Amino acid sequence: MSRYLLRQLSLLLVTLWLLTLLAFGLGHWFSGDFITNTSGIFPEDIRFADVAEARAAGADVFSQYSAYLSHLFRGDWGVSLLDGEPVFEQIALRFGATLEIALLAFILALLPGVPLGVIAALYFRKTIDHTILTLSLSGYSIPVFWFAQIAILVIAIHWGLVPISGQINPLYEITPRSGSIILDIFLEQPEHMGAALHSAFAHMVLPICILAIMPMMLIIRLMRNSMLDVLGQNFITSGYAKGLSTARVLWNHALPNAMQQVMRQLGTLISLLITNTMIIEVIFSWPGLGSWLVRSIYERDYPVIQGGLLVISALILLITIALNIFHAWRYPQVRKDLYAAS
Amino acid sequence: MPRANLYYEERSPAPLEMVWLEFRSKPLAMAALYMLLFITVLTVIGPLLTPYGANEQFIDAISLPPAWSESGNIRFLLGTDELGRDMVTRLIYGARYSFGLPVLVVLIAATIGIVLGAAAAMTVGVKSSTLKHLLDVLMSIPSLLLALIIVAILGPGLGNALFAIGLVLIPQFLHVTRNAIHDEQKRAYVTASKLNGVSKFYLLSHVIFPNIIKILVVQFTIGLSVAILDIAALGFLRLGAQAPTPEWGSMLAQSLEVAYVSPWIMALPGLALFLTLVSVNLVGETLRVAINRQLER
Repeated sequence: MSRYLLRQLSLLLVTLWLLTLLAFGLGHWFSGDFITNTSGIFPEDIRFADVAEARAAGADVFSQYSAYLSHLFRGDWGVSLLDGEPVFEQIALRFGATLEIALLAFILALLPGVPLGVIAALYFRKTIDHTILTLSLSGYSIPVFWFAQIAILVIAIHWGLVPISGQINPLYEITPRSGSIILDIFLEQPEHMGAALHSAFAHMVLPICILAIMPMMLIIRLMRNSMLDVLGQNFITSGYAKGLSTARVLWNHALPNAMQQVMRQLGTLISLLITNTMIIEVIFSWPGLGSWLVRSIYERDYPVIQGGLLVISALILLITIALNIFHAWRYPQVRKDLYAAS
Repeated sequence: MPRANLYYEERSPAPLEMVWLEFRSKPLAMAALYMLLFITVLTVIGPLLTPYGANEQFIDAISLPPAWSESGNIRFLLGTDELGRDMVTRLIYGARYSFGLPVLVVLIAATIGIVLGAAAAMTVGVKSSTLKHLLDVLMSIPSLLLALIIVAILGPGLGNALFAIGLVLIPQFLHVTRNAIHDEQKRAYVTASKLNGVSKFYLLSHVIFPNIIKILVVQFTIGLSVAILDIAALGFLRLGAQAPTPEWGSMLAQSLEVAYVSPWIMALPGLALFLTLVSVNLVGETLRVAINRQLER
């Protein structure tokens, strides 16, 4: 295990290093001045000379890269070209907001997704199975940006059940600390906490539900397929032969083994979820990383693009590696395969 | 006299034929296939069918609802948008951008990826598993994010978006081809051909390739569904096709301002996108199941 752990961690380091190389390269590939692109300070600015010196403007690429790295680790990621906000602080704030809806949507997807997949597998090639499969395939094909608009039109505007966009009613003065609105409310302790929580919840429910659809459909399919594999194994038959109840067989023997295959695909699922989160944030004006990154791309706000891409890609890589490690730790037989392959 | 069957001979259908037989027994999948054919026909001869131009405006018919509603007009079957352009015409033209171009992009990406993948598998390249793991991890970055990075460098626009999607899809094809060939190379029939002394090119093109084409077709449908969705998403985020282009994603983006007053402008392009994606996914999924079932035999 320690060997595997070491290997995965070194893999993480190498990929993160490649990412910093890419982000550094972006500064050169964007049109315009390299120093302005990475620091967000215009040449007309008084601070420009200092910044240019600190970031090794005239020197060779290697010293520029080391200067870039040292700025990166200090948390000095430049300022936005548009509003002059420091990029790192903004990222720290928006990161929480993105993580909040992504995480909640993931949990929401898992709750019905796993049982539905199991049910479909139990009624293999029966009407229930076909219905669930067809539903999940069509649900998977719905373009998320279109579905979100329809949902806003029907639920938010036509029925008026929930607000259209934003995190919380601006009447509640919640200073963003962690970015995650629920955490912020608890940190702020406003006068009408119940009402504030209610408002935050109403703002949150629609984006989360829409976001949860695609991963849920994927989980159903993954769960069904791996459950089918497991249910055909000998130990399931022997479990029934021992006289165990269906619930016991499923809960104690089938599910843990079926989860192993699902776990392997979870990385792909989460990276899809994060892409969808970016789109959903744009639609619901959720103050997260995704909407900020997309805006920065068409405003050509280069320091923000650099920082945003770095953080989102790093997040996905971290999740992938963490899942790999967890998978190998929880299921030793996978580890054995990996050793055999190497 | 009926011809007597002298020898006991069971004709077993060719692998691809078997997949097709399996495929044909699924009515839903056949419906999806016909839908795809229909969209393909629209893509190819669409402009011949449409009565108006894609950007032709009718000042007397602005934001007209579909023909079956009270204030509709039969001249515009699905109504007009906020600038008085016929929705049917725009949707049909949109098939070119939202279905035709992705197909082309995926075809190009598949060709490059398959050639590179085959080259990588046939030559004794870097067999380091570290490199493989590294690629696996890097490929976990979602395609839309990679496309965003490329669009961020090149700037928004339909051409750049297409280029980005193509570039993103190449490694996936490369990976799949390489793995498939690697798996096949361990099979007995490949060894037999090698012992027969066939050339490497013959081995690849006549021995291995017919056996992995099914996997590549499935990968093609996956890539196509990703490309359609991502190009539409980029169009929706206003990073892909720009304003007057009748691309479904950018039509959706433009309709947002008038979505409440005339919801059909928003609903229709999304519906077209949804139907296309469902058809592609359904065909791909059925193919995958059919192939798996064949492997089990």
